[in-house]
Amino acid sequence: MPNTARAKEGQIWAVGGGKGGTGKTFVTSSTGAYLARRGRRVVMVDMDLGGANLHSFFGINRPQKSLTSFFETGARLSDLVVDTDLPNMSLITGDIHSIASDTVRFSQKLKLFRQIMKLDVQHVLIDLGAGSHTNTIDTFLMADKMIIVLTPEVISIENMYHFVKNSLFRKVKLTLKQYGFKEIVQHIWDRRQSYGIKNLKELIDYLKESFSYIGTILDSELASFRIHLVVNMVRTNQDILLGTSIKSVLTKYLGIPIFYSGYVEYNDVVWKSVRERKQFMLNYAATGCAKQVETVVENIINGREVSVPGGYG
Amino acid sequence: MTPEESRKYLDILEIGPRATLSDIKNAYLRLKKLYSGDSIVLDPLAEEFSDKRRTKIIGEIEDAFAKLLAADKNKTTLTFPPDAASGDAPPRAESRAEDLIFSGPTLRRIREKLGIEIIEISQQLKLRGELIKSIEEERFEALPEEIYLKTHLKNIAVCLSLNPAKVAGDYVARYRDRKKPR
Repeated sequence: MPNTARAKEGQIWAVGGGKGGTGKTFVTSSTGAYLARRGRRVVMVDMDLGGANLHSFFGINRPQKSLTSFFETGARLSDLVVDTDLPNMSLITGDIHSIASDTVRFSQKLKLFRQIMKLDVQHVLIDLGAGSHTNTIDTFLMADKMIIVLTPEVISIENMYHFVKNSLFRKVKLTLKQYGFKEIVQHIWDRRQSYGIKNLKELIDYLKESFSYIGTILDSELASFRIHLVVNMVRTNQDILLGTSIKSVLTKYLGIPIFYSGYVEYNDVVWKSVRERKQFMLNYAATGCAKQVETVVENIINGREVSVPGGYG
Repeated sequence: MTPEESRKYLDILEIGPRATLSDIKNAYLRLKKLYSGDSIVLDPLAEEFSDKRRTKIIGEIEDAFAKLLAADKNKTTLTFPPDAASGDAPPRAESRAEDLIFSGPTLRRIREKLGIEIIEISQQLKLRGELIKSIEEERFEALPEEIYLKTHLKNIAVCLSLNPAKVAGDYVARYRDRKKPR
């Protein structure tokens, strides 16, 4: 996305990851609650347009105001912010009924991004829906911190790769578009067999080799393409080590830097808390899960990684 | 080894510049296992992640590990923080000669020097910790049949980056000696 000026020191974090049910909304809401407790002014945006439910993680009923008004009646984003019971914490809800993310037009999307960047807060946390739709990915790419939540099972990992690959491909395309190489990436990719290109890494390598000019641009632009990985619902030490393995594979395979920010253990209290419509970090602050969320957030802020128990995978 | 080289090899093993010998060891074992076998982390990429590519990555990992180990043995520019357990232990001449034969105590000494815990080997090899302890203490009566023992010894040797055949050969010779019927 075009790099429009950011609102002050504000930071945008987006939480995605491809598969549904991995706990994206739980991680987003808990992260926001922790940041707010730390004294930051936070607004959370529920961009899971088809299945918005972030509000229920704060125990509030679906507000009258939602992103629907932004898309349908042109309401200003800042007028759609609703307060929560937590100090420093407010919310912009999605809407279950009227819009699906694939119906959002490009111009609307740009307008939304501009207004998100202008929100007068320290943190904007965006909860993305499942899937790897372009709109979801563009929102992900707009963020200062790109966070992926996955669970230790094969479908989640598979969807995560799909999501990461799509994001990286889109990032390459958007980057080169700015420099006037609008069609070249897609063109080469569509004819990749005749170019002997088998995967995304080879495409990027090919572009860099063939056009040294592109190489320089890509190197500098992709240096900021950093994904923060959170493994949710871990049950065993092996599950925790999956994060380390995924980091290795993404680094060696796609050549992109990954931060393994942390993991959150499986615990029924999370489910219970959602069911009770209580804010987890507030009501279950003493649990291991809550402590692990805190570690994740601190690691994301500081660009650090979680220390993984034991060395073997 | 130049700092650039050591940086490069440590990068391949995905560890930082302050890595200890046992960190290097652990990283090597972990990565080798990851890229050699089946894993839910790699399976979804099977189509794009060709065997050729995998083999290349494994080769790089092995090369990096060998180079880093060699650098440590020659004490070139790659230096490791002093091992907390051994302190500033002076070179022990008497243990050098003994090192040539891989006895139980020698294996233990090497393991401790590498900073590897019994439990780590035990987890890695899916082997009872008690058995590894018996091997180190040369409690021959507690050890399994020679053929099984040999396999265990070779696997342990790999964990300690020792020559598997030499370790198994040395140790089994001592084992046979002791078990010889009177």
